[in-house]
Amino acid sequence: MQIRSLALVAIAFVGLAACGSSDEALVVYSGRTENLIGPLIDQFSEETGITVEVRYDDSANLALLIDQEGSRSPADVFISQSPGAIGFLAGQDLLAPLDDEVLQMVSDVYRNANGLWVGMSGRVRAVVYNPDLIGESDLPDSIFDLTDVAYRGMVGVAPENGSFQDFVTAMRQINGDEVTADWLQGMADNDAQPYANNSAIVEAVGRGEIPLGLVNHYYNLRAIAEDPSTITKNYFFPNGDIGSLVITTAIGQLASSDREDAARRLISFMLSQSAQGFFSEETLEYPLISGVAPSPLLPDLGEIGAATYDFDSLGGGLEATKELISQSGLEGK
Amino acid sequence: MGSRVSNRSPIGGTLVKWLAGIIGLIFLFPIGYLIWGTVTLGDEFWSTVGARTTLGPLWNSLRLAILTTLACTSIGTGLAFLVARTDLPGRSVWRILLPLPLAVPSFVGATALLAAVGPGALVSFLPRIDGYWGAFFVLTFLSYPYVYLPVLTRLASTSPALEEASQLLGGGRRRTFAKVILPQIRGSVIAGALLVFLYVLSDFGAVALLRYNAITRAIFSSRLFDRSTALTLGLLLGLLALLVAASQRLITPGRISITDMNVSQVRYRLGRYRRVALAGTVLPFLIGLAMPVGVFVFWVFRGQPTASLGYGGWGDDLGFLGAPLLNSAAAAVVAAIAAVCIVLPVGYVGARARGWLPAAVTSAVSSVFALPGLVVALALVFWAIQAPGVLAQLYQTFPLLILAYVLHFGAQSMQSSQAAIADLPSVLDEAARTLGASRGRRFLTVDLPLIRPGLVAGGGLVLLSTLKELPATLLLAPIGFQTLATKIWGAAEDGFYAEVGITSLVLIALSAALTWMIVLRRQPAELPKRSG
Repeated sequence: MQIRSLALVAIAFVGLAACGSSDEALVVYSGRTENLIGPLIDQFSEETGITVEVRYDDSANLALLIDQEGSRSPADVFISQSPGAIGFLAGQDLLAPLDDEVLQMVSDVYRNANGLWVGMSGRVRAVVYNPDLIGESDLPDSIFDLTDVAYRGMVGVAPENGSFQDFVTAMRQINGDEVTADWLQGMADNDAQPYANNSAIVEAVGRGEIPLGLVNHYYNLRAIAEDPSTITKNYFFPNGDIGSLVITTAIGQLASSDREDAARRLISFMLSQSAQGFFSEETLEYPLISGVAPSPLLPDLGEIGAATYDFDSLGGGLEATKELISQSGLEGK
Repeated sequence: MGSRVSNRSPIGGTLVKWLAGIIGLIFLFPIGYLIWGTVTLGDEFWSTVGARTTLGPLWNSLRLAILTTLACTSIGTGLAFLVARTDLPGRSVWRILLPLPLAVPSFVGATALLAAVGPGALVSFLPRIDGYWGAFFVLTFLSYPYVYLPVLTRLASTSPALEEASQLLGGGRRRTFAKVILPQIRGSVIAGALLVFLYVLSDFGAVALLRYNAITRAIFSSRLFDRSTALTLGLLLGLLALLVAASQRLITPGRISITDMNVSQVRYRLGRYRRVALAGTVLPFLIGLAMPVGVFVFWVFRGQPTASLGYGGWGDDLGFLGAPLLNSAAAAVVAAIAAVCIVLPVGYVGARARGWLPAAVTSAVSSVFALPGLVVALALVFWAIQAPGVLAQLYQTFPLLILAYVLHFGAQSMQSSQAAIADLPSVLDEAARTLGASRGRRFLTVDLPLIRPGLVAGGGLVLLSTLKELPATLLLAPIGFQTLATKIWGAAEDGFYAEVGITSLVLIALSAALTWMIVLRRQPAELPKRSG
């Protein structure tokens, strides 16, 4: 082709080769997006002098990637947006146990029993609703009531979303497979509407397409930050209902990593006062260590009686969860 | 200048066949990975294939692909004809604007559609469009350039003499179009139609957001915790694509080989149809480009510039887009050039050779395009991570990323070059041979100038596809290498709509600039008018 085009190619190649990764850098695969973790990574690099390189993608895709890479994975640390994806890696023996002092910083319900990952920040399962279409008093006390005919066709769900799946796993562990299968089936029979993800549900509720949807609390707060005239609101099932489950984002170190020291320092950093303060103030999530208060914009976890669940016993449970969801027909026709 | 086709290739026939064979094998890597993953499944494979939860979504994907292909074929061909061969007002602007929807990632297009029309959306008096019709709508108006661009190119090199003769002999415009023009451009139309068909099969973003249960949704939802299902469905999609691509050869016409270069084409006066034609051009532009752009601008100005995380809204610093902009441009240009060069031998064999080889290699190249990007990316990870020695060093480097783009999008450039080569007149080659020109010289001085517009059009498609590519970029790019598309994905994932908006606007501007510089500038935009 044209000489000029070829010259352009050559320049591009040289330029890109020059900015290739250095062997010294700590490599993080992050299922949390850059907007929600990038500032902390920068702060860590500044404080420690450790160069960190990050690959961002969906948590499930990165877990698949690490599994496929196996012992040759260039990654040292994995950050997961929900326990499911990191639990999958724990189940494949791809994670290294963390130090006790790091694990001890968070309550034992927010970490893996074998010490393979630790929670970073908390998100609460919530109902996002449109007050023009349904009053708060018409919302049920329990997620199990949503199979009632009164809510027929009214509820949006994201069956392919990681935190919905993790919530279903918790329900299986707490209420048993039979109850869970019945609930999923009940939701499908009650014409619950499947959506691609949490943001899509919040948007749909905002437009009035559906009156309510099952999401994480974060997404409606984000919608308000983006557009202060947003009318949708979060509602939390009271009395420790499983529908108000706390789901953590999580961090772990790869067993194949040879930059153990730097990896551990990054993990400890994510549980430091300043990092936890970032989650509380900037990303409006729940901090997991004691001594850092959640944002005043958030309801108190104790007040809503948020359910917690020991995600460390996930084991092979996620395959079964996926199967139950598929069988219910909730994913759509 | 027109003439019969010769089956002789100006480059050494055997060498080209070998090259094409090897390239075809490389394009089988993704399907090879799927076979490798499913071969141990045994009965489980067949029960997954035959399950209601497979056949339903598969049929959904097929009927979506069929209707979208029909729509894109009509729209793409119609627009190309209006722009290339009529006195449509503003056609030099339309030339640049009409290919651009191809650079809009389908998940963004779908999100924009949902935000744009329907109760509670920006334009609330229109009904909401989702499900089958929503997916059809978004995919049609984002994918018609797969037909438009190659046909536009082909229309610049058809034989004006035939058209004039037809008109002189009293064939009306309609008959001239049907009997004279259409047969000449048919190869390009079919090539574009196949691309649309395969693309719709592979799409995940639009169908997921518009809540249409296509086969790709089943693949994605089972990818982590039910991998045998994901692999089986991926293989099914790949085999289907092989079959469809192979059957393309059955419907592609016996060659009517007429290519005229640097001739002034007949330009038809629209007369009283001018307004209708203009409306027909404005509509795809409004839906495919203006509507998403309008939503992006709305998001940018709705946002709050004081927001602490990410890009908050108009007034915030745009510096964060600098590196992604350069990365996107470099990746797209390099991928386009690499794809054109690498699949050229396959194009030659596809157009010229006989026997089983052309069907085999062109189908192999085409099949990859029907696979979801994630499957192509994971296949490359699978092969690259266990590569021996030096090859393993390529893992997550720029060259491997380019290879991923070439594998995924090579079909686009191959279809274009194959159509261009098939239309080469052999008389020139024979003359050059008589004069003693070597094979290489004949390729460079005779074939290349004639097929160049076709190659550039195919390269243009690869360029636009690469600009919006997501799954392979996320998994295989050198670490820290972010593109505009990955930025858009990250922002959309957590509901940063102002950031989605501004980044998408920059992506469209970059697409326009690159399309103009590389693809359209080289084609004669305005030729002396002839009466029609």
